[in-house]
Amino acid sequence: MTEEFNKTENKTKQLRPGLWQTVNERYPGSMITKSDYVTLAELKKPLSESRLTFVSTAGLQPKGSLPFDTVHPVGDYTFRRVPSNSKPSDLEIHQLKYPTFGAERDLNVIFPIERLQELQTEGFIGELAPNFFSFIGYNMDAEMLERTLAEDIAEAVEAEGSDVALLSPA
Amino acid sequence: MSLDHNAEKTFCEAGDWKIIMSLQYLKEAVANGDSESLIRYVRLHFGDGNETVGRKEIDKAWVEALKLLLDVPKTDREFIEQTIKEKDAETLAHLYFRLHFYFVERSGEWIHDGRV
Repeated sequence: MTEEFNKTENKTKQLRPGLWQTVNERYPGSMITKSDYVTLAELKKPLSESRLTFVSTAGLQPKGSLPFDTVHPVGDYTFRRVPSNSKPSDLEIHQLKYPTFGAERDLNVIFPIERLQELQTEGFIGELAPNFFSFIGYNMDAEMLERTLAEDIAEAVEAEGSDVALLSPA
Repeated sequence: MSLDHNAEKTFCEAGDWKIIMSLQYLKEAVANGDSESLIRYVRLHFGDGNETVGRKEIDKAWVEALKLLLDVPKTDREFIEQTIKEKDAETLAHLYFRLHFYFVERSGEWIHDGRV
């Protein structure tokens, strides 16, 4: 891992330079357009020394917390903190926009919390942040999504001192 | 990344390209009194992107509510009137959407992938 980390070549290269063209070809009129070159953030230290958090649109949340608002016609702009030491049995999914059959049998297929815990135990990841973050992907108000939800999660991630945020759409 | 709020959204359903309205599109429809576009969106929302299914889902919710009242059971009308009187229209609108899913779930014919 350290050897990989020390490689300097391609550090700022977009891993999938054709991604946005592909999105716009397949979803013409998509609200997402690529107007600026967004460089990849660089790791400041090896993953084995880094604190990692996980951000997901899976609609996963601790049992007993207020369910995501899956019925609102314009979406839900809140997020839930998911303690990174949670067991799958502590968690549940509230969303209506993707098939959850597999995830109901094993949450790790959509929210790999146990795999990340294992990677921490093995030392592959330095440590997990106290919380992971979850929200639902159904948000019609892109401006509100950017201005509130994205900013709120970014602040929460930063407040917990994470070095790496693993992002995963559902 | 930037966001194009004027773009009309599209998504793929059963292999066909289908137009779905952006929030900006819906707001313009409200401003223009374009009820057809708004009705279509509501059906798409309840039908997981399928307008025909959405129409049936709306009917299903109303039928389920109707079935519960055929025997004229005792209901809490004070609660109903008090809620309508005291709560703001936005909360009631939200409740209206929530009740749709409540009655659909109660019907036992749940078409959605997840849960509310």
